[in-house]
Amino acid sequence: MAMTTTPAPDVPVGLDEAPVVPPKPARRKSLMKRLRRAPVLYLMLLPGLAYFAIFKYAPMYGITIAFQNYLPFLGMGGSPWVGFDHFVRLFSGPDFGRLLSNTLILAFLNIVIAFPAPIIVALMLNELRKQMLKKFIQTAIYIPHFLSWAIVSGLTYLLFALDIGPITVLFNDVFGTRVNFLADPDWFRPLIMAQTLWKGTGWGTIIYLAALAGVDKNLYEAANLDGAGRFQQMRHVTIPAITPTVVIMLILNIGNFLDTGFEQIYMLTNSLNREVADVFDTYVYFMGITNGAYSYSTAIGLFKSVVGLILILGANWLAKRFTQSSLF
Amino acid sequence: MFSRRTLLAGTALGAGALGLTACGGGSGSGSGEPLTALKIMAPLLSETAPDPEGQLHKAIEEFVGMPLEITWVPNSSYGDRVTVTMASDNIPHIMVQTGKSAEFVQTATAGGYWDLTDILPEYPNLTPENPDVAHGASINGKTYGVFRLRDAMRASVILRKDWLAKVGLDEPVTTTDLEEIARAFTEEDPAGDGSATYGLILPAWGGYGNNGPYDLWETWHGTANVWKDEGGTLSPAFLAPEFIEANTSMKAIIDAGHTNADYATMDAATWNDPFVKGQGGIIADVSSRGKQLLSLFQEADPEGYGDKVTMVGNLKSPDGTLWSLPTPGYAGYLAIPKSSVQTEEQLATVLGVMDKLSSEEGQRLLNNGIEGVNYEVEDGMSVPIESEEGSLVSSDVSAFAQIGTQSNGYLGLSSKPAGEAEAAMEEKRQATADSDLESAVFNPGAAYVSDAYTQNGAILDQIVVDARLKYLAGQLDEAGLQAELQRWTDSGGQQVIDEMNELYQAGA
Repeated sequence: MAMTTTPAPDVPVGLDEAPVVPPKPARRKSLMKRLRRAPVLYLMLLPGLAYFAIFKYAPMYGITIAFQNYLPFLGMGGSPWVGFDHFVRLFSGPDFGRLLSNTLILAFLNIVIAFPAPIIVALMLNELRKQMLKKFIQTAIYIPHFLSWAIVSGLTYLLFALDIGPITVLFNDVFGTRVNFLADPDWFRPLIMAQTLWKGTGWGTIIYLAALAGVDKNLYEAANLDGAGRFQQMRHVTIPAITPTVVIMLILNIGNFLDTGFEQIYMLTNSLNREVADVFDTYVYFMGITNGAYSYSTAIGLFKSVVGLILILGANWLAKRFTQSSLF
Repeated sequence: MFSRRTLLAGTALGAGALGLTACGGGSGSGSGEPLTALKIMAPLLSETAPDPEGQLHKAIEEFVGMPLEITWVPNSSYGDRVTVTMASDNIPHIMVQTGKSAEFVQTATAGGYWDLTDILPEYPNLTPENPDVAHGASINGKTYGVFRLRDAMRASVILRKDWLAKVGLDEPVTTTDLEEIARAFTEEDPAGDGSATYGLILPAWGGYGNNGPYDLWETWHGTANVWKDEGGTLSPAFLAPEFIEANTSMKAIIDAGHTNADYATMDAATWNDPFVKGQGGIIADVSSRGKQLLSLFQEADPEGYGDKVTMVGNLKSPDGTLWSLPTPGYAGYLAIPKSSVQTEEQLATVLGVMDKLSSEEGQRLLNNGIEGVNYEVEDGMSVPIESEEGSLVSSDVSAFAQIGTQSNGYLGLSSKPAGEAEAAMEEKRQATADSDLESAVFNPGAAYVSDAYTQNGAILDQIVVDARLKYLAGQLDEAGLQAELQRWTDSGGQQVIDEMNELYQAGA
């Protein structure tokens, strides 16, 4: 992962960028010079460049169908152009408001609940003294990550089925209610969050544990000598040490802000909770695959990507401004 | 200079990749040359794809006088593969289309498939036997494929025969009878061991107007089949008062607890389970499920399985009128893409093969197999031959049946029932199907596809399906249901109604 820690800029933000751009001819000359000096090294770059060109950049040509009425048999060359019609249809359509709010709510819950959870667990694991116990817990909480969403959904249906599922039965017995978790729209988001936490939290700790392992032991020793308790050590040594990692992870997460995931939501959706479950990702499937509206669903996907790009740039800018660590 | 050349090569590679993708959507291969082999793409519903060197494949090739290259695609991903294939440059000569999907309708009307309206009458075995089904299978009156014939009357109510005897009730005739049976199955311990049971088994059903259990219930209560014709004007069946009346009586069954509690979430693939396990006792679905259940009981109880399952056809409304719900009478098409079959000579070759396959001999090959290898004829019915060779061919038959059309009427052999219970059920099924067909409520809008529906149909149908289920679950009251149905009209439904009427009045 590319990560830079720049010193606090002395100049006002926005001004520090201008003089950095070198004049063009000089740059080309230096590239040629470097190429001549180490041709083999640059040759090794080629497969990587080719990979990005073929698998990442070339397929972007497909975005053009968002501006066409694409029909597979006419192909991209033969389908009629319609300009921004599909975007107009999306933004003025009856579903847009509902899709946007459902997506934003889930995205917000992801950032507020699912994002900090691995950090907290990692900090807790870090405080465990018994290495054996720590390793055991680590391994145990990684396991759910390796189950596919289909299996997680299957388990959810088994555990939460009305009148049969053990959790539903227990809940309804204790509270004297008859809650149908799987069909009640009010319980849809809590269920999704529970699934996300169960599946992802353990795996998410890996990167933070790695960051924690890199904290200088001398700092703890010094803090200890200064009379800091464990809680104070955590506050003043551990947390500042992993803050750059947290910020980078947060920026990456915000870039995927609107990616609420397809499988997980699709499999938990039914007629009774659809009003809160419909998000852009499931809508794209529905329109694109079920209804064959390829252009329209590409337009939705493009809209999502543009929002993601803006968010990641914005988050990166904010992070650079306030914490001096950023992604690029 | 070495480095510059490599750089150039990299750029060329990138540009080449762009060019490749750009061509990916091209019009496909093929030329005006006579066809030497026939490429077919078909869905595979059985476990294993037939071996192209297998006995049946070879026999069919010999029969049509041409090598066949068949791409068998698992049914679950068939729709996606059709799209991808149509965008590729390896397009088959015959494409099985499983229905009027948006993709098929758009491609066909844009000229991607041969319009066969005026051509089919030249082929005796491709001329439809039933003009009503043919009209319903057309797209706004035009034929873009040879439809695959299916039974028009499949609706059935399947019940636990032993439970009926235990609670002392007769087989249902009206929907009121069924409500009483559902109650008795829930409250009167039909299993006789005190276990918790219920009446009607309802799965989470996707889609509207596709012969689901709620569609059946609505038709039995007098709701029209998708579209209602009132004095030459079409209106959606669910906007009529009968729709709400029917669902109100269904809601009463659900509210009373005479169905499974998880009716909103139960996977339709597990529909048989509660019936076989003795949890629920009624399924409203298609008649073939009755046979399926019979054979499931046979596994557990080879002697007395015949007493476990009984089946009746469509039910009468509470006032005794019979409205029965037919299927469209066909299941998709064999369509011929213009990008692979480019000349009329080539088209004649393809249609010639299809015509042969629809002859009596062809139909028997596709639907029964090879006489003397996997079946023999007994009383005009087919009886399977138990042998390794025979079972291989029989397994291939289940796949090849998918490329049969039978639009000229089914000329293959029906299979001889395995036991007495099966024979009795089959006889009853046949009799009920024939009498139910006389009261069938056909969809007057079946032949018409509006542009607005092609664009928004999936979303619009979903509104109706969700609103119906929310009403049944009590999340919506009657006013709420009305409001949701109004949302259907406002979200583009009105445009569908207008376009349908325009097409209907032009075609009728």
